[in-house]
Amino acid sequence: MIGSQVEGRTFLKKIDWNFAAVIVGLNIIGLINVFSATHGHNEMGGTDRLFWSQVFWLCVGWAFYFAATLIDYNLFVRLAYVIYGLNLGALVAVKFVGKTALGATRWLDFGFFSYQPSESMKVALVLILAKVMSTKSHPEGLGLRQLILPLVLIGIPFLVTAEQPDLGTAMMLGLIGISILFFLRIQRTILIVVTVIGIVCATGAWFFALHDYQKDRVYTFIDPSRDPRGKGYNSIQSKIAVGSGRVFGKGFRKGTQSQLEFLPERHTDFIYSVLSEEYGFIGSMAVVSLFAMLFLLMIGIAQKARDKAGAILVIGVLSILFWHQFINIGMVTGLLPIVGIPLPLLSYGGTNMLTIMLSLGFISSVSYRRHMF
Amino acid sequence: MAQYVANEHEAKEYLPRYRILYMLIGFTFTLFFIRLWYLQIINGAELRAFSEQNSIKETKIAAPRGIIYDRNGEILVENLPGFEVTLSPQYVGRDLETTAEAVGKALNMAPATIVQMVQRSKKLNGPFRVVKLKDNLSRDEIFNLEIIKNEYAGLDIRENVLRSYPLKADGAQLFGYVGEVSKRQLPILNEKYGEKLKLQQGDIIGKAGLEEILDLDLRGKDGISVQQVDARGRETQNGESKLLGNLTGIVQATPGNNVVLTVDKDIQDTAYRAFVGQGFIGGLVAMKSNGEVLAWVSGPSYDPNEFSTGISGSLWSKLINDPDRPLRNKVIQDHNSPGSTFKPLIATAALSEGVITPTTIVNAPGSMRFGNRVYHDHQRGGEGNITVSEAIERSSNVFFYKMGIALGIEKMFRYISNFGIGKKTGIELQGERSGLMPSPEWKKQTIGEEWQPGENLSVAIGQGFVLTTPLQMAIAYNAIANYGKVVKPFVVRKIMSPENKVITEFEPKIVKDFGDPNGEFKVKREVFDTVREAMRRVVNGTRGTARGSKLKFVEIAGKTGTSQVMSFAANDIYSTCENRPKYQRHHGWFIGYAPADNPEIAFGILAEHACHGSNAARVAKEIVQSYVAKYHPEWLTRETDKKGTKPVIQIQTPATEPEPEAEVD
Repeated sequence: MIGSQVEGRTFLKKIDWNFAAVIVGLNIIGLINVFSATHGHNEMGGTDRLFWSQVFWLCVGWAFYFAATLIDYNLFVRLAYVIYGLNLGALVAVKFVGKTALGATRWLDFGFFSYQPSESMKVALVLILAKVMSTKSHPEGLGLRQLILPLVLIGIPFLVTAEQPDLGTAMMLGLIGISILFFLRIQRTILIVVTVIGIVCATGAWFFALHDYQKDRVYTFIDPSRDPRGKGYNSIQSKIAVGSGRVFGKGFRKGTQSQLEFLPERHTDFIYSVLSEEYGFIGSMAVVSLFAMLFLLMIGIAQKARDKAGAILVIGVLSILFWHQFINIGMVTGLLPIVGIPLPLLSYGGTNMLTIMLSLGFISSVSYRRHMF
Repeated sequence: MAQYVANEHEAKEYLPRYRILYMLIGFTFTLFFIRLWYLQIINGAELRAFSEQNSIKETKIAAPRGIIYDRNGEILVENLPGFEVTLSPQYVGRDLETTAEAVGKALNMAPATIVQMVQRSKKLNGPFRVVKLKDNLSRDEIFNLEIIKNEYAGLDIRENVLRSYPLKADGAQLFGYVGEVSKRQLPILNEKYGEKLKLQQGDIIGKAGLEEILDLDLRGKDGISVQQVDARGRETQNGESKLLGNLTGIVQATPGNNVVLTVDKDIQDTAYRAFVGQGFIGGLVAMKSNGEVLAWVSGPSYDPNEFSTGISGSLWSKLINDPDRPLRNKVIQDHNSPGSTFKPLIATAALSEGVITPTTIVNAPGSMRFGNRVYHDHQRGGEGNITVSEAIERSSNVFFYKMGIALGIEKMFRYISNFGIGKKTGIELQGERSGLMPSPEWKKQTIGEEWQPGENLSVAIGQGFVLTTPLQMAIAYNAIANYGKVVKPFVVRKIMSPENKVITEFEPKIVKDFGDPNGEFKVKREVFDTVREAMRRVVNGTRGTARGSKLKFVEIAGKTGTSQVMSFAANDIYSTCENRPKYQRHHGWFIGYAPADNPEIAFGILAEHACHGSNAARVAKEIVQSYVAKYHPEWLTRETDKKGTKPVIQIQTPATEPEPEAEVD
C-alpha cells in the first residue's frame, strides 16, 4: 500500500527543497566565515586544517541529513530510550576518561575526532521527550503527575553536564526540555509554583553551586569595566566589531577587530561578530533572516506532521536551534552575557555540525512523510 | 491507513499553539533588527573610527614575585625596583627606523636589533602590545632617554621590578633563575597550566630550581592598565563612550606568594664558602634528621642575577659550554659510584642478616682471589684480622668483598633499596636522577646478561653498576643515624600569602621505618649501634680515614669514599691521584651526620675530581661547626672526651683515604 504511493511521486520531489536551500545558504556563509576567521592564524592549527576539517564535517553532516530524511523518524523515536541511555553513558564517561580543555572536561577523544556528548545529548533529549509525551493527550495541560517523567529525563543530563562544568550546555538542555513542555502546555497553578521554586533554586545555586568563574561572568555582565581585559573586554570588543561593520561591512578578510585578534574564539563562539564586521548590516540581517526563514519553515512542517511524535520532534529541534542562535547573537551584540554557546551551522566544530545536521535531517524526515497522505 | 488518519487528528491538537511560536520568531527577528540597526547604522561611524585606531592602550603591570625566606625569616630571594624602556609599535608607524636610530644611540644598542625586536613582537602579538627594549636601565641611559622621549611617539620609561638574589652564586641551583618565557616553551606551558595561567610572550617565568617549581605560587597575577590614548599614544580623558561603557580601568597586580624554605642562610653560606669557595666541583646537601634541607650547594655556580636582567649570549654560551656544568644541580643530577661510602650500608645488611656479629673477626689481606680474578685492597698490605667496626674505620675492601660474597646480590639489593638507593627521593626540585641499585632482573632486562658472582664484590664496595646522588646517600646515612628512619627530604617549609598568612605548610615525612614493629622491613637497633660506632671512629678514631676532620667539641660520624672516574692498570692504581690530569682524578665522597651519639643533622658531599673523600670531610667539618655555633653555642666550649680512641699500636698511615681499589684480571 505504501509502496504504491511512493511509486507515484519520486523521492526527489518529496524532499523539502526550500528547507534544504535555507540550510545550504547558512552553510555557505558559515564556510566563508570560518575561512576568514582562521586564515593566517597559525596558532589555532592553521587555516587549512580548520577550514577543511569544517568542510569535511559538513559533508558528513549532509550525509547524515539525507540518511535521516529517508529513514522514518519514528524509528529514532522508538529507539529513543537506547539513544538517550547511550548518550548519558558517554556523558558520564567523559567524567572519567574525558579530555580537559579550558578548565572543563567535555570531550571524549577518538584520536581524529573529539566527540562532545553534551552536544548530541540535546537531540537525544528531544527524541525521548517526543516518545514519552506523544503517547497521551492532555488538552487541558500537563499536570504534576505527567510532569514527573519528563522532568527527570531533563534533569539527569542537566545535572551531569553542569557537573563537568559546562553551565552553558546544561542551561541549553534545560531550556530545550522546558520549551517542549511549554509547547505541550502546563497547568497554570503548576507554572506559578514552579516559578517560585525556580527563584528559590536560582538563589541557592548562586550561593552554593556556581563556580567562581561563572559568578564572575554574571558580575562582569552587570559591569563590564570590572574586568576591562577579560570577559567585559570580550563583550566590548565584540560590540566594536559588529558596529564597525556599518551597512556593507569592511569586506572579506578585512575586519580589523577579528583579524587583529581582538576577538577571542572568533572561529567558534564569536563567528557572528566576524561576519558582522566584514559584511555589515546587510550580512548580519541576511543571517538573521535565514534563521527566521528556517524557523518558519520548521513551524510549517510541525503543523503538517502526521503524528504527535513528529510534531514534538520538530518543535524540539526548533528549540535547539532557536535558543542557540538567540543566545549567541544576543551575546555577540551585547544584549546577553558572554556564554560559550556556538552559533548553529556557522560556528566551527565537528560534533556541533553533525548534531545540527542530523536533527535537521529529522525535520526533513517529518516533512518527507507528510506527503504520505 | 486508518492509523495515520487518527494520528493526524491527534497532531491537530497542537495547532492553536503554533501562533505563539510565530510571534516568538517575529519578536526575535525584530529585536535583532533593532539591535543591529542601533550598533551598525546609528553608532556605526563611531565604532568604525574606534576600530580603526583602536584608541586603547594596554599596559601590563608586572606582579612582584613572592619573596623566598630561609627558615629564620632571612631573605634569600627578593625583588628590586628598576627601570625599563618600552616602545608601543602602534604609535611608531613608519618612523621605526629613525626611532630605533635615536633609541639605539641613547642605549648604546644596535638600531637593527631594536627594529628586529619590534617587528617580531608586532608579528607575534600585534601592534598594540608594548615592546620592552631594555630593562635595568642605568642612570645615564635614563637621562639620555628622557631627553629624546617626547620627540619619539610611543617611547616610554617605566618602573619595573627585578628579581634579585642577594646570595649571588650561592645556592643558585637551588633557587634557580627567572627569564622571559621562550617562544618554544609558551605553548607547552599554556597547555600544562590550562585555565590556571595564560602566559603571553614577554612574561617572566621561573626557569630553573625553586623559581620554576614554585612558579605558580611565586608569580602572582599581573595587573593591567587600560587607557584611552590619542593618536600619538598619549593618555587622554575622552570621557566615557555611552555605548561601550567605561573603557579605561586598572586591575592592580597581585603579588606572588612568599615562600619559607627549610634552608638556613648561615649554614648555606658556610657550606658554599667551604665548598665552591675552595674550588670544589660537585654537590653538597646538609639536612636535619627529619629531612629539612639546611644547605644545598652545587659547584661551580653562576650568578642568577645575570638572568634577571636578560642574560647576554656570550655568558649563556659560556655557562652551557663549561665542562664543569655550573647550571647543573649536582646534588640530585649527578650520580656516581658511591665507592666506600656504600660500606656502612653493606655492613648493616651483613650484621642484620647474621653473616657477622659485631665481634666476628675476618681476615682482610691485601688482595683476594675470587673465581679467576684477583681483587685488590687499596692498601697493599691489607688490614689483617679485623672486625666490622675496624673494616669501616679503615675502609677495608677485602672485608667487604667477603660480605658481598656471603650476602649475595638479592639480599644486598633488598637492604640497599630499602635505604632509598636507586630511587628518587621525591624532593620538590626538578630533574632528580634515580641513581641505580642493580639486581639480576635489572641486568637481564637492560643488558641482557646474567648476573656474575664477581659483581657481588663490586657492589659490596659501591662500584660496578651502583650509582647514587649525594642526596640519596645523605638520606641513607640519616636512616642509619636514626635507627632506620628513611625520611623524605624537602626544602619548602611554607607557602604564605603576600600578607604572610600561611597557605600551605609542609611537614616532615618518614618514608620507611626499619624499627617499626609493623613494618615489612625490620633491622634491629643493635645493628645500627654497631655501624654508628664504626662511623664515629672514621672521624674520631686514631686510624680513621677522616680523622683529619675531627672537631673538639662535637663528634662527627661518617664515611669517606672514592669513586673512580676511569680504570687504571694494576701498576698505576697506587700512584698519586693529584698527579693526574683534572678530569682523570677520582671523585671524593664524604657522607655523615652529627653529633655522632645523638644525630641532629646529616650531610652528603660529593667533591668531583677531588681525589679523596677526606677532602670532602673537611667541608663537612665546617658545616657542623657552623650548625653548632648557631644552634648549640654552649657546646663550643666543651671538649668531647670519649672512649673513641682505640688502644692499639699506632701505625703511621697517611691521614687521607688510601687509593681506590681496582679489579685486575
